[in-house]
Amino acid sequence: MAGHATAQERLFALRETIARLEGKTPMLVAEEQRERGKNPAVLTSRRVSLGIADVDAALEGGLPLDGMTEVRTSMMRDAGAGSGLVLALAALIQKQTGASALLWISDRVSNGEAGLPYPVGLAQYGVQVEHFLHAAPRTLEDALWLAETAAASGALAATILEIRGNPSSFGLSESRRLSLRAKAARRPILLLRHAGEEEASSALFRFHAASAPASERVLHTGAMLGGSIGFPVFRLILEKSRNPAPLSLLLEWNSHDRQFSHARRSEPSRLSTHAATHPGTRFPVSVDGPDRTPAVGRLLAFDRAS
Amino acid sequence: MGLGLRQGQALAEARAMHPAIDVVEENPVADKALLEGIADWCDRYTPLVALDGGDGLFLDITGCTHLFGGEQALLDDILLRLFRMGFKVQGAISGSPGLSWAACRFGTGGVIAEGAAKETLEDMPVACLRIGAEAAAALNKLGLKRVRDLFSLPRAPLAQRFGSHILLRLDQALGHQEEPISPRRPVGVLSVERRLAEAVQAEEDILELTARIARSLCFGLESRGAGGRFFELVLFRVDGRVFRIAAGASRPLRDARKIAGLFTERLKAVHDELDAGFGFELLRLNVLHHDPFEVLQGSIASKQEDEASLPDLIDRVSARLGEGMVQSFRFRESHVPERAVVQVPALSHISDAGNDEAPVTMTRAERPLRLLPRPEPMEAFAAIVPDGPPSRFRWRRVLHDVARAEGPERVSPEWWLDDVAEERDYFRLEVASGHRFWVYRQGRYRMDHRPTWHMHGIFA
Repeated sequence: MAGHATAQERLFALRETIARLEGKTPMLVAEEQRERGKNPAVLTSRRVSLGIADVDAALEGGLPLDGMTEVRTSMMRDAGAGSGLVLALAALIQKQTGASALLWISDRVSNGEAGLPYPVGLAQYGVQVEHFLHAAPRTLEDALWLAETAAASGALAATILEIRGNPSSFGLSESRRLSLRAKAARRPILLLRHAGEEEASSALFRFHAASAPASERVLHTGAMLGGSIGFPVFRLILEKSRNPAPLSLLLEWNSHDRQFSHARRSEPSRLSTHAATHPGTRFPVSVDGPDRTPAVGRLLAFDRAS
Repeated sequence: MGLGLRQGQALAEARAMHPAIDVVEENPVADKALLEGIADWCDRYTPLVALDGGDGLFLDITGCTHLFGGEQALLDDILLRLFRMGFKVQGAISGSPGLSWAACRFGTGGVIAEGAAKETLEDMPVACLRIGAEAAAALNKLGLKRVRDLFSLPRAPLAQRFGSHILLRLDQALGHQEEPISPRRPVGVLSVERRLAEAVQAEEDILELTARIARSLCFGLESRGAGGRFFELVLFRVDGRVFRIAAGASRPLRDARKIAGLFTERLKAVHDELDAGFGFELLRLNVLHHDPFEVLQGSIASKQEDEASLPDLIDRVSARLGEGMVQSFRFRESHVPERAVVQVPALSHISDAGNDEAPVTMTRAERPLRLLPRPEPMEAFAAIVPDGPPSRFRWRRVLHDVARAEGPERVSPEWWLDDVAEERDYFRLEVASGHRFWVYRQGRYRMDHRPTWHMHGIFA
């Protein structure tokens, strides 16, 4: 851990040096970012604003349209959060650029683990699905070729490439190739990495996504409906950016208005405290137990030991 | 057969005549494959090639002969080339398939003039009419040995006694009755080809030539007001092997560069199978299917370009990775989640109006972002009986504590499709760690039966 901390510190020191070389003091950088956050007119047209001031400031105006952005999850079970964030970004890109075609290049194992993108759900999530395309290439090489071709063609609003872990055949040079294609065609590639480690790549920004309890549904009176599951909330860490300190926040995706907002703090739910009216038997949480629950019944004889 | 052996002879008899004879067992599959190979090779003369039993080919050369310098020259060319490949072949050209068949097997072959059918057939045995051994033997028994003998007989008693098919065969051989041959392969709507003085091997050369011949294809397409959807590139190798490479387009094409572009990716994909050997001497480009072509007004706005390039992308990807690689989808009228959406290859559907329509049965209840390929069984504990959510469940060996739940949403089976399934009660669950799942209970609690729980999808 100590090594990690010193590495981080050295990284910050290097970033400060670079900022000084570019003629900006770190103080100036921070101030500039604050300025930009206040004044959205400064935003260049090649960025898609997330609508949250400090995120946009950290992203230097928003999500880049001419590059690769990575979304990473630590575990496969966070696939829902990762997919949700990527699709929310795609929906924002669709909304702000006016293009609608999306290509989701999925990984076959992830498909089995977390399921296939489901168009009815996507439509409810705020993604335009008229030209939603899906491909599941057999090998990673095919997937990379497909992502490259798709980005270079310029026909898509965004290309979503899903990979699992940190495969050796998707290294720095491959990611550089992809991001150069994206830059040349000025079309974004969203890289969704399930259960992956931090890795050097050519992605301009990298988010770490994890699930967080959803906000509660808002009634028309403005009150929150206790115990309901409303809009999804992500626990985000902006791991890679020009900003020296990683940014961590809870973001809520409003699928009706297609916009992000800060997550509202939700009350502890009625169900979690009181459970049900008739909770039935509460089993203790099993620790170090066998993988399956033992069969319920009377033990009549032991198995043979020898 | 200089040894005096003949087809259909018993092996013992042949061995008695020539004790040193070498016997090889018949391999009908290999024979058939060889004949198919020769038929493929014969495609260079005409697209209408049909197999005739296990040892013959019919070629419909109507309208093709002038390309090869006349009928005699065509026949000589075929026979000479096949002879050089090591086949002893008898060939005949005549006005009807039946006459050619007879001339090849019972005569000397060659080109038979228009009015000479009767003279040619006269002296041949009746078996030359393709009537089968049994009918031929029956005719022979009555002394009707030659075709000539049949000419003089009244037709009605002949048909009555031996069946009408003898007369049919006779008429077909004489050309009085039309006899179509059924070609092995679908005939392209349009087809262009290029014969090469010097064989080409390199992929770039093949593509260059394809682009060049595609240009002449475009005139044909233009005159029909059509654009090609499915193309086939046929490559004839010097040694007689024929390669066929098919490629589809997602919308009608009439641009030579784009047609050749389809094969650029396709050639890369079949790279290993395409063995150029000593090169290809003949290239042919067929249009297997075409659709009406709508001319798009060119526009300065870039949006038009974008829309046109999506089909291009799909064509390229489909050519390289297979037609089913890029999938689009269609909504269907069903409440059962896995039936509400059906995947279709984008290649065949992107050119349609697109699926602008909202899901047909747009449900108010929320659907997950990702749906598992098939519902996975899970264990649910302490579910609120009879129709509540579980308070804890185990899925993939991980125990989850349910923090919040919404539901149930009942989805009844479609009894008009399958009557075995029980209804499902869907719940949205949020577990303590913040993950959201879509699970359902199948069936109801009964005295002797506990319902099963299934995981079906994952929310954001």
